[in-house]
Amino acid sequence: MSGPRASVDQLGDTLSGATREAFEALAHAGSLPDGAGVVRGEAGREATGTRVRFSLRVAQDQVVEARFQAYGCPHTLAVASWIAGALPGRLRADLSPGTPADWARHFDVPIEKFGRLLVIEDALRDCVAKWPDQGVNGPAARGPAKRRTMGP
Amino acid sequence: MGARPVYLDNAATTPVDPRVAAAMAECLTADGAFGNAASTHRFGREAARLIEAARGDVAALIGAQGTEIVFTSGATEASNLALLGSARANADRRRHLVTARTEHRATLDPLRRLEREGWSVTRLAPDAEGRVSPEAVREALRADTLLVSVMQVNNETGVVQDVAAIGAVCRAAGVLFHCDLAQSVGKVPTAGLARLVDFASLTAHKIHGPKGVGALYVAEGARPWLEPIVFGGGQERGLRSGTLPTHQIVGFGRAAALVASEGAADAARMGTLRATLWESLGALPCVHLNSPLAGGSPAILNVSFEGVEGESLVAALGGIAVSTGSACSSATAEPSYVLRALGRSTELAQSSLRFSFGRTTSAADVDIAAAAVRRAVTRLREVAP
Repeated sequence: MSGPRASVDQLGDTLSGATREAFEALAHAGSLPDGAGVVRGEAGREATGTRVRFSLRVAQDQVVEARFQAYGCPHTLAVASWIAGALPGRLRADLSPGTPADWARHFDVPIEKFGRLLVIEDALRDCVAKWPDQGVNGPAARGPAKRRTMGP
Repeated sequence: MGARPVYLDNAATTPVDPRVAAAMAECLTADGAFGNAASTHRFGREAARLIEAARGDVAALIGAQGTEIVFTSGATEASNLALLGSARANADRRRHLVTARTEHRATLDPLRRLEREGWSVTRLAPDAEGRVSPEAVREALRADTLLVSVMQVNNETGVVQDVAAIGAVCRAAGVLFHCDLAQSVGKVPTAGLARLVDFASLTAHKIHGPKGVGALYVAEGARPWLEPIVFGGGQERGLRSGTLPTHQIVGFGRAAALVASEGAADAARMGTLRATLWESLGALPCVHLNSPLAGGSPAILNVSFEGVEGESLVAALGGIAVSTGSACSSATAEPSYVLRALGRSTELAQSSLRFSFGRTTSAADVDIAAAAVRRAVTRLREVAP
């Protein structure tokens, strides 16, 4: 705001194309219903400006379906949305589709917001930590491992 | 998304009124009043004549004399002059200053500077609506208190301070009183303020005048308590050196004259727009009003939307220009310190939007903004954990 708060007029104009596109779509938003094979991982707090939760339907060690929920800035929501779309097919041992540095480059995230990407990474790590060790079979059949890469 | 551009950030700045722009244009080129007002030839005298007329129009905003107006580059410089200039002029006598935690940075930052130089500063906590009580001011005064600085209208919430009562406290105690009026003029009554304050900061660009010009009101009796902070030429009775920008000052004067003739009607219309917007937004669940509806500035409506982060909300609004108290969309590292001082949680502070109205704001603008905000809040809440 004026003086104490910087004005943020047309803030959307300052977002990169990739961020704007992902933020406007917010694909894969939501939460999977509780049930067998559903893993939830989250990190962050509203009080610190960022909170992210992923819910994954997994079959043994592979992601079948993913959704995200997020409270945070447009970059946070855009990256979380993209990641949720990239998770199906990924393995528990290699869950994260890239690193926070990769996401920062792709979405042109300002350096002062890098910590928010670490919250997203923590939410993914929480998913891994809560992943049942063995014998979890989701409703979907396990398919071939799908690796997605960051790309412009 | 995709809404037509709507400007609801008039507390940040306003578009120049075309009538102001026309008056300014007459002071720029060879066939206009382009002269240096300090020159004695006819070109200079014509510029000086226009400047003195503008000085009178600006002084009339608060019931002052033209001789009590010192033109500056804006309200920030005016506040710096009042605070730094009075402190340094009285450094060997009084070294304590009083302000409120919710003041503009143009006040807080110079005071912080003075603190580093050895002055003592008391920052008063406001009540939950943002008001500083005159009693709290009185209790903060010490034998060595030089000055109290409290703004009339808060730039984030629009809360209006009882400057008459605070001024009376200061006068009774023999303490100088500085008041930032940047958000007051044209929104709340200011006509008699010159009798209540020693220094007042004014600016043109909040009243549909140009950026880059403002003024400090210096009551005649307070002049001996003030020394300049800019040197080199001795303009403005020695208080603000530098060639006077005729076109800026003439624009300021014209904008002030328009406030005198149209300000009351503008303020009434803004109040109606504000009520309409709040009626729509207040119907959403879990919203928190940060502006007092009764007795507040009609030009500012500040609302927090529980569960929604401010920067994302602004981004989701597309063409709706507003301000947010969110930390990551501002130059500072913390969410709005003003809202935090009012007792709002960090979450509510960073979920706040400030809507501010001006002469050019239409009812259609408000309807478009209300619909866009309702859509965006609903959508972002659906995404939130």
